[in-house]
Amino acid sequence: MAAKRPADRPRPTLLILLVAALTLLTLQFRGLQPLDAFQQGVRDIIEPVRSLSDRLTDPVQTAWNGVFGFEALRMENERLEVELARMRGNALTSEADTELLNRLLSEVDIAYSDFDAVVVRILGQPPGNFSAHMIEVDKGTDDGLEEGMAVVSGAGLVGRLEQVDRSRSLVQLATHPDFRVGVRLVTSQDEGLARGTGTEGILRIESGVRLDAQVDNDEVLVTSGGRSVFPSDIPVGRVVDPDPDADYRRSIIVGLAADLENLSFLKVVLPARKSEGGP
Amino acid sequence: MSSRLRVVAVLLTALVAQATLLTEIRIQGATVELMMIIAILAGFHGGPERGALVAFFAGLLQDSLVSVPLGLHALVFPPLAVAVSSLEQRMVRSAPVADAVALLLAAAAGICTVAAVGLLFGLSPYDPGTFLTRIITAAVMTTSIAAPVNRAVRWAVLGGLPPDIKLRAVGS
Repeated sequence: MAAKRPADRPRPTLLILLVAALTLLTLQFRGLQPLDAFQQGVRDIIEPVRSLSDRLTDPVQTAWNGVFGFEALRMENERLEVELARMRGNALTSEADTELLNRLLSEVDIAYSDFDAVVVRILGQPPGNFSAHMIEVDKGTDDGLEEGMAVVSGAGLVGRLEQVDRSRSLVQLATHPDFRVGVRLVTSQDEGLARGTGTEGILRIESGVRLDAQVDNDEVLVTSGGRSVFPSDIPVGRVVDPDPDADYRRSIIVGLAADLENLSFLKVVLPARKSEGGP
Repeated sequence: MSSRLRVVAVLLTALVAQATLLTEIRIQGATVELMMIIAILAGFHGGPERGALVAFFAGLLQDSLVSVPLGLHALVFPPLAVAVSSLEQRMVRSAPVADAVALLLAAAAGICTVAAVGLLFGLSPYDPGTFLTRIITAAVMTTSIAAPVNRAVRWAVLGGLPPDIKLRAVGS
């Protein structure tokens, strides 16, 4: 146990350390680049050790899941078989719809959105307890990723890249309370701003949609594009509660289409290439 | 090996352990706060000044590892170390159970304070629905690894120094 030594000067030392920490925080919020570079440097230095650890612990995790998650896996497999049969039926309908859509688009001379994307593997939650609604993926600036890029799964929007290191990135999930995305209701064509609620699988639209707009349950939402960092027409989810009786401010609850449960891979949408001769 | 080198070795080892093995071990989404327990134990063994210095650098490393602004943990850890040191000096005698409970409370208080300071700076670190569960789980997990960390921190901050001898006057 420690006895107080005569040389101990706890108050001045503590004061200096607190001022130093507050100064660092202030400089970071003012966007001082060397501080970001320092943090990124520390993460890059320990990155090889983390990759090695991931490789070593992967078999252990797989064995653990195999032993303790077998029953859940079997039920999931049965559910997916039913889903697959349903999707095969839907695929036939989609083919017909797509052909019709392409014909209509060519008539009005609109190019259908076609995204370039980088496939990334989900590594899990980032270190620490400050990581609710964040996940870590295995690619970074070395693969052309940048902060703010949209992250999608086969079902739709998952989130955006929040922090990009050389070979790892953090994805802020759409359910994160700080997440914002411009959305368009497919049927009514009303646009609004959806934000994460901190609750798994739920977004909320609190601005943009008119009080008298006709919004139905199960109506599909897509990203609105425009000035948003997200490309347009990425599926976001379906309306769960349209809040038709709102008097002053409408709060529409949206169920997110993408479900991260049991997913291993995601796609990061790269920005559309500038047309030749463009600015 | 000098005390400073020992502290650096312990902090870097802890950083790697936090970034690798401990990140994989999660219960209800919560994980061990290794750097925080080092800060607490540095205050316990090293006294207020040395404890605060070790805690500050532990906080800086933690800030670099997790996705928070640099200085957030470094702001919280030194006062935590000084508070633990101050309480330790006021304790008449030490018992393992009492030490464990004190450690649990200190870890829970530290995590709460980090969350509160994070909120002040506009971060949303936790789900309101799972906030309490996550703090308790993280504090219990952190306390559960205290024994080996305690030895390492004691070695780092006190290595080479003679054990303290407390003198108390009879009848006082």
